Amino acid sequence: MSARLASATAATAYQRGWFADLRASAAEGAPLALVNADAPQEIFRAMGIPYVVNQWWASIVTAKRRTQDYLEHLRERGYPDYVEQYSSVSLGSLFDQDPASAPWGGLPRPSIVLAETTGDASRKIFDVWGEQPGITFYPLESAAENDVPVRWWELMPRRWEEAVGGDRLDLLTGELEGLIRFLEQTTGLVFSETRFREVMALVNEQQEWNRRTRDLIARARPCPLAVTDSIPSVMIPQWHRGTTWARDAAKAFHDEVAERVRTGAAVCPEERARLMWIGRGLWFDLDFYRRFQESHGAVFVWSMYLAIAADGYLRYGDDPLRALAARFAAFSDQLYTPPWSAEWYVKEARHHGVDGVVHLVSEDARGGYFTTRALEAAGIPVLELRADNVDARGADAASITHTVGEWLDHRVLARG
Amino acid sequence: MSAALARLATPTGPDGSRPVIGYVGADVPVELLTAAGAHPVRLTGSPGEPSTVGDRYLGTGLDPVARSVLTRLLDGAYGCLDGLVVGRDCEASSRLFYAVRELQRIDPAAPLPPVQLVDVLHLPHRTTTRYVHAKLTELRATLETWAGRPITGDDLAEAIEEHNRLRGLLRRIGALRGRRPAPLTGTDALSVVAATTRLLVRDACALVEQLLAGKLSEVDGLRVFLTGSGHDEPGVYAALEEAGLVIVGEDHDWGDLLSRRDVEAPTMLALAERYQHNGPSAPRASIRQRAEHTAEAARTRGAEALISYARVHDDAPPWDFPAQRALCGLPSVQLVRQPYGGLTEEALAAVAGLRGPVGAVR
Repeated sequence: MSARLASATAATAYQRGWFADLRASAAEGAPLALVNADAPQEIFRAMGIPYVVNQWWASIVTAKRRTQDYLEHLRERGYPDYVEQYSSVSLGSLFDQDPASAPWGGLPRPSIVLAETTGDASRKIFDVWGEQPGITFYPLESAAENDVPVRWWELMPRRWEEAVGGDRLDLLTGELEGLIRFLEQTTGLVFSETRFREVMALVNEQQEWNRRTRDLIARARPCPLAVTDSIPSVMIPQWHRGTTWARDAAKAFHDEVAERVRTGAAVCPEERARLMWIGRGLWFDLDFYRRFQESHGAVFVWSMYLAIAADGYLRYGDDPLRALAARFAAFSDQLYTPPWSAEWYVKEARHHGVDGVVHLVSEDARGGYFTTRALEAAGIPVLELRADNVDARGADAASITHTVGEWLDHRVLARG
Repeated sequence: MSAALARLATPTGPDGSRPVIGYVGADVPVELLTAAGAHPVRLTGSPGEPSTVGDRYLGTGLDPVARSVLTRLLDGAYGCLDGLVVGRDCEASSRLFYAVRELQRIDPAAPLPPVQLVDVLHLPHRTTTRYVHAKLTELRATLETWAGRPITGDDLAEAIEEHNRLRGLLRRIGALRGRRPAPLTGTDALSVVAATTRLLVRDACALVEQLLAGKLSEVDGLRVFLTGSGHDEPGVYAALEEAGLVIVGEDHDWGDLLSRRDVEAPTMLALAERYQHNGPSAPRASIRQRAEHTAEAARTRGAEALISYARVHDDAPPWDFPAQRALCGLPSVQLVRQPYGGLTEEALAAVAGLRGPVGAVR
């Protein structure tokens, strides 16, 4: 089995140092933002306002087994602990009375939170943030389109106007202009379009490296790295996109993967089945992803994190603010709205030559039928796993392991 | 029950003289459907019937109302619809639209009408107004295609006037509920509003006027304001009122919220502004907006208690409740994860506690 990727180790170390510095600067009163993963962070980058990504912090909390403590803080205040836990756990951490025992020293208190008004509960979660002293919630609309582009992943880099639709772009561009004015006024910092263009160019460079890396992994036999390595290697730089460090980290990740492919390194030398994981990371049980290598020769070769970095972020164009709007105005569609999402997952499954798909379906509004159906129609076996990705209540690890093992035996490996 | 109330409780369906367009959610600008010469019918679920097909396509993590509506659409329970317009008043409606659109794509033989999304958004900003205006313009064009004729300025003005008139009449019904004793039950009030979403607007106006002109009864009971989920059928209202309560007001869009705001001018822009600023509904308004509205509405209606009822997988209301309870200052009870169209035994027991001494319940 291959050693852990140096790029994953380096990214994690960088993140720890960055977070310590961020805590120090926040303690001195510097502005700090908490942003949702699918919100336009590049404006904060260009203005030099540090930010923490809500879902990244939730993944840290969950990996450190503190999710239930923080959900309890929500319950104590009369809020539901059973709705959108991935988005609400960070709010629970705000109410932690003992931050010294919190993961990584605790989440510093933000001065602004930014999120789209997605779904029915996400906006409410951020309303609660916004009711806390010293914190302002800046909401963005979450718009939807009647029509569907064909093969959006081919359109997005340069023909995003066509893929996303002008009305949605007008809306989000207008909202971002308002956000810039708001940040200028409340922080005293300057928004330089020259700097913003640099940020946008760095983001595109970074995602181009991610695209090359994705393609390398798709073609490689056997799979050269563990999905649990690819996730930090792509996502920590993703949360720092628009910096030279992030761009260079993406290149280093690519180069390391390329070297592994060149030398024939294998995460599972007896690879018998290539698997795709659809859904958010199972943060409370990351060992899950390697559990079936020895028993079944089954390797997870795909998660959405690298793939969406490859296909979902590239936006070129002369108007950088509209290009930024194009990056996020349909982000949720790319992952969760049929047929956008379903067709993309089929494309990626074929690209990676997967033998089966494990599809995490949580008990929430997004459902999973159309994705599962599209993959099955393409001849790819799918197992729907019912679990929440951060809230382990109700998840039975032994049962999940048994279910996946049975499915591998009878639906994936039985196909020969 | 007066004759008008009885007729409203069992409204006659479309007579086949004009196209029938179904719609989902109070964010759909029904004025445009009327202006297109259609008979608009707001679609309701049916908690007494299995929603197996809807569950399959939408999953079981979604508000069961949407799962029921999709099941009924595929079963033909709404008769022959010439079109379907879906708003985004809540996530369940969005998912319902995506499912209908996708089913039509992968199975063109599926018995589904042509569908159009109308994406009415609600942040109180000019950027949103412009967007909603564009979406309403898009819907107008689609309706013109379905109707086979243009919607003229006069058509629009007339429809806006008629629907404003209906809303005014419904507000008068609502104001009556503030009297002591209440002249009609919450169940009857809910049925009246629901009936007006299935009738042609001028017929709805005529029947509500008859109701207002007739003699109403007097209803006794603990006066309750109901917040939380919307109710597209009377099961929950009936169960609560059978428990000795009288629901004097609510803040969902199958009740008072549907008629709260008029269109201020006979224009597409005014129509956009009306729907953008309509509400505040639980899934789309802020916690603060909701709490302020609920407190004011409960006070205006002379409510003595507050009940927050949240259906299973209706995710917004539980987030509103702490602020609503604090601002209302009324004895209150929160019922969460309730079955569609009913209440659990535990919920009914909690409601029974409301009838004890004030302060005996949280």
